[in-house]
Amino acid sequence: MGMNVQETIASPQVWHPQTAAEAWHLKQSLGTDSIYVSGGTLLRTQWEAGIAAMPKHFINLSSIRGLSEIRVGESGLIIGGQVKLQACRMNTMIQRYFPMLTEALRLTAAPSIRQLATLGGNIASSIGDSLPALLGYDAEVVWFNGIEEQLILLKDWLQIARNLHPERLLLRVQLPFQQREEADGLEPGHEELVHSKTKRFYAYHKVGRREAFTPSVVTVSISGILTEARIVKDIRIALGGGQMIPIRLEQLERELIGETVDTQTIRHAYGRVVQLYEPREDIFASSAYRQTTAANVIAAELWKIAAEA
Amino acid sequence: MSDHEGQSSTSFALHCFINGEEQTLETTAATRMLNLIRDELELTGTKRSCDIGRCGACMVLMDGIAVNACLTMAYQCAGKSITTIEGIAKNGIDPIQQAFLEEGGFQCGYCTPGMIVSVKALLESNPEPSDDEIAEALSGNICRCTGYGGIWRAVKSAIKMRGSNR
Ligand SMILES: Cc1cc2nc3c(=O)[nH]c(=O)nc-3n(C[C@H](O)[C@H](O)[C@H](O)COP(=O)(O)OP(=O)(O)OC[C@H]3O[C@@H](n4cnc5c(N)ncnc54)[C@H](O)[C@@H]3O)c2cc1C
Ligand code: FES
Ligand code: FES
Repeated sequence: MGMNVQETIASPQVWHPQTAAEAWHLKQSLGTDSIYVSGGTLLRTQWEAGIAAMPKHFINLSSIRGLSEIRVGESGLIIGGQVKLQACRMNTMIQRYFPMLTEALRLTAAPSIRQLATLGGNIASSIGDSLPALLGYDAEVVWFNGIEEQLILLKDWLQIARNLHPERLLLRVQLPFQQREEADGLEPGHEELVHSKTKRFYAYHKVGRREAFTPSVVTVSISGILTEARIVKDIRIALGGGQMIPIRLEQLERELIGETVDTQTIRHAYGRVVQLYEPREDIFASSAYRQTTAANVIAAELWKIAAEA
Repeated sequence: MSDHEGQSSTSFALHCFINGEEQTLETTAATRMLNLIRDELELTGTKRSCDIGRCGACMVLMDGIAVNACLTMAYQCAGKSITTIEGIAKNGIDPIQQAFLEEGGFQCGYCTPGMIVSVKALLESNPEPSDDEIAEALSGNICRCTGYGGIWRAVKSAIKMRGSNR
């Protein structure tokens, strides 16, 4: 067997900018004939599937200085856009403080792909499986717009992601540390003690035929704080999956805060997920099937949380 | 932007190490490692199947880490040390290969080089992996023949063999 179709037709030029400004200028001058490449793993699937044509110019982002580290900053844990998914998956700080992200990455592709793929590429795609987990931690993303760095809440960015300029360059993601108080020193588990009278809960689920590498039906992250009396003190619910840009169900979150988690509340939550979540259908699953799956996962998780409280 | 900083290339001289030997390959920067290994170097132990990272047949080690050669482009391999299945068997049959032979870890054998490369990467970094760790490490390698029973036995046996050799 020889080269694949794309390689025989075109042999793209690869540019290696050293700074975000250089990358941005290259993108501006080369225009639609060019594309930012991080790991190139998602792009490869798009080129091979014929969804996108391989452009004439690749702008390789991996040489840009300072984007490949995970560090603690004033605003929380800072993860550079070029950090590989597998490095995030194995990072002990992320495992300890942001376990839903660890779980999301454990369920993303396979280790060999995660060694090439970056968190920046996963986020910039606007459909990556890390996104529901990051939404659950109030993540902020830092973009370069050609002049300056811009910080925006991930949940706000995802709402406008489809309409943004292709030059936008993701530099890093920031995860604010949650207040741990008495929870400090506990091993991460399904639940953690926050105060003696409250518990922190979290879960991440990816529903789909994982082994076949098909896009997931639904990905869900649910996290928050429950009092001893099973009253919701805080809750975040994020949904994604397939080709959907993930969202927070903020309306349902507001409705649940202050409520006792019992059969009535769970039933209410189930019904509201079906009403509020409007996933697109694809060849794998209808919209209604995705809604029902999301509602089931969230109801089951609330049930589990209440039972363990 | 200086020439060096913004440099681009269509033709590309890839300097790297293949199975321990220093190589300079005249290619293009975006050519996939899989093409270079199979077509240029004629190291056909590395298999091609899906071409998009889904099956694991093309797995190679890059600086000791398993990666899919069908996803890796030449410029991403610059200065790296690439080991193919031929390199793993360079000094005689590897205990992992022996374990696959003894435990019936293959039928048609098409997935086997990729499987062995993934097991090699796992055991070099984690000589006594748990069942969950084995399952995760091999989650990108698909076998359509064996039902995975023989492969699982082979991995367990390789762990024991390597342990007793230490
Ligand atoms: C076999 C296989 C299985 C996969 N399974 C999963 C899965 O389970 N879950 C999942 O979420 N994904 C999956 N993917 C898709 C992909 O691997 C991930 O989304 C990965 O994180 C993309 O990162 P990358 O660095 O390879 O991005 P690239 O492919 O390099 O880029 C992806 C997109 O983002 C843009 N981009 C990249 N970096 C930046 C940046 N810093 N700023 C602005 N734009 C940027 C690129 O121009 C491109 O449009 C899979 C891919 C393969 C091949
Ligand atoms: S050919 Fe590379 S993973 Fe299938
Ligand atoms: S032995 Fe045939 S594909 Fe695995």
